[in-house]
Amino acid sequence: MSSAQANTATPAGQQKTGEIRLVDITKKFGHSYAVQNINLTIPHRSYCCLLGPSGCGKTTILRMIAGHEPPTSGQIYIGDKIVAGKSPVERGTAMMFQSYALFPHLSIADNVGFYLKMRGVGKAERRDRVEEMLKRVQLDQFRNRMPSQLSGGQQQRVALARSLITNPEVLLLDEPLSALDEFLRLRMRGELRSLQTELGITFVHVTHTQPEAIALADMVVVMDTGRIDQADTAEMIFNRPKTPYVARFMGGQNVLTGLVEGHAGGLVRLRASGGSIFEFPLDGPPPANGQPISIAVRRDHVRLARQASDLAGKGINEIAGAVTATEYQGSYVKVTLDIGNGLFVANVTDRDYSAEPVVHGDRAVASWKAADVHTLAEIDTGAAADFDFDASN
Amino acid sequence: MSALPSYGSRPWTFYVLAALFTLFVIFLYGPMIAILILSFQGPSAALVFPLRDPSLMWFDELFNPRRVGDVMGAFSRSLPLALMVMVLTVLISVTAGFGFRRRFAGSGVIFYTAIASLIVPGLVLSIGILVTFRFLGLSAAWYSSALGAHLTWALPFGLLIMFAILGRLDPSYEEAAYDLGASKWQTVKAVVIPIVFPGMIAVALFGFTLSYDEFPRSWLTVGTKNTLPLEIWTMTTNVTSPALYALGTVTTVVSFIVIALALSSIIIIQRRRSR
Repeated sequence: MSSAQANTATPAGQQKTGEIRLVDITKKFGHSYAVQNINLTIPHRSYCCLLGPSGCGKTTILRMIAGHEPPTSGQIYIGDKIVAGKSPVERGTAMMFQSYALFPHLSIADNVGFYLKMRGVGKAERRDRVEEMLKRVQLDQFRNRMPSQLSGGQQQRVALARSLITNPEVLLLDEPLSALDEFLRLRMRGELRSLQTELGITFVHVTHTQPEAIALADMVVVMDTGRIDQADTAEMIFNRPKTPYVARFMGGQNVLTGLVEGHAGGLVRLRASGGSIFEFPLDGPPPANGQPISIAVRRDHVRLARQASDLAGKGINEIAGAVTATEYQGSYVKVTLDIGNGLFVANVTDRDYSAEPVVHGDRAVASWKAADVHTLAEIDTGAAADFDFDASN
Repeated sequence: MSALPSYGSRPWTFYVLAALFTLFVIFLYGPMIAILILSFQGPSAALVFPLRDPSLMWFDELFNPRRVGDVMGAFSRSLPLALMVMVLTVLISVTAGFGFRRRFAGSGVIFYTAIASLIVPGLVLSIGILVTFRFLGLSAAWYSSALGAHLTWALPFGLLIMFAILGRLDPSYEEAAYDLGASKWQTVKAVVIPIVFPGMIAVALFGFTLSYDEFPRSWLTVGTKNTLPLEIWTMTTNVTSPALYALGTVTTVVSFIVIALALSSIIIIQRRRSR
């Protein structure tokens, strides 16, 4: 970095880091809570995705980190300093808005150089640094264009360049990919990830799209209304969801509930209300008999067979139902069964499916191995909406 | 341009509306054009067609106060009055527009109180202002009582326009400026004002023309010296020469110049934005 960049960054001697700590954060709008008692630590140099349906409070958290919204109570630390009352520049954060918020009356170069101009950086230095930043996002040939003359993807790069020229330790992205078409979205997704690695700063990215979070993040924070359900690596969130909500929201999981009947040989046995029997490996102290437990089974760990007779499908870790939908997904077929008190989805590889195809109305039996069962920390109340997203594809 | 979809032949309603529009245009511009032509009437001093020996003599006559009255004096009051109304309307509308971006207790009442003067008859308002001035022992003048009367007319329009414009202004522009280290004042100067500038020109235009043309609110409030519309009205009763037409031509041209200036500055700004 040039010396010019150093003098507009933090004063010498202060080590900035991009670790973000939220302690007991609550935000009320009027009488309703946007978020309540949030505790979260986002490590320095990580790519963190805040994931949840609209209205869950993820954007509110982002805006509180950015300093655009003060928390009602609680404290935010960025790099070990309390940031209450500080401006975004003092916090070392920069935000990329969902609408990009490019100033329509300024050229691309003036948009990118806005921060420097506000700080009174001289014309020549400003031009050099803007040029450097525009080259970085490959937009140097558009320096004199106006924002309205650029495509969505180009506008996003301008917004990115305009944020990054402040040398932030934390970049906050509010649904950055939602305005792009599918092709650009995938490309920009990759570019964002490699930019984060290259810059070595913390990215906090708000999204409602599961595949986006799983593909990008070191840390996925799944939010329900105003609460964090689970903050973990993408792999843990997807394979070992803590709650039925996370399992359902991430997709790719079937959630089943039953009462403990006993345990033997390292396996716990559950009986569901419909009479099905599930077994799964005992992990920790054995549960009391009669205790309800919810389990999750990944859709692609399910085997599917036609129901040969009425008796089939009554075995352990088996469930029978009528096929209500089959969806061809390329490498696999998504088969939905009506199991009486809900839906059960099996993702069958196209090879297995063509060996024993089932169609709408057929009776089929789904089965799985006890080792593929994951127990959830909370009982499924069935209250959560049935999100039907495929994070697995 | 892509080809327009074909909807078949035009329905009869098209011709009805086209005829109606033609009549409207003739009604609107016909008299104006007639006055424009007749203002070049020759020494015959006929107030009706035909035009004989075209000359500029009535324009000359216009600026000769012994014959027609104090046109230049009226203009020298109307122009600064309209400019004052314009500046005040822009200043007050813009600042009020910012104030009203956040709902506050009583904002609805204040808004409707300000807008209500649109439906109060101008003459009644004018009488009220005159009576109040008399009561306070003040004398009515174009720069005080008439200025206030004109503002009661121009401000509600300015407020309505500015509220609509600032209501559409995405707050994330200001947040982005704050995020990039701009102070409140820098944000207003470098981001908000440039974005809403075309709207401010529209407000200025309204303020200027509403005041420049105003008759009922001026009639009793200007005091002893007339503004231009009042002067024209007086002339219609005692001047019977084409100088009247010459005056019409001159005032119309001034109005058009103001509108052209305003519109071209909007166009220039938008050109610069989408260059």
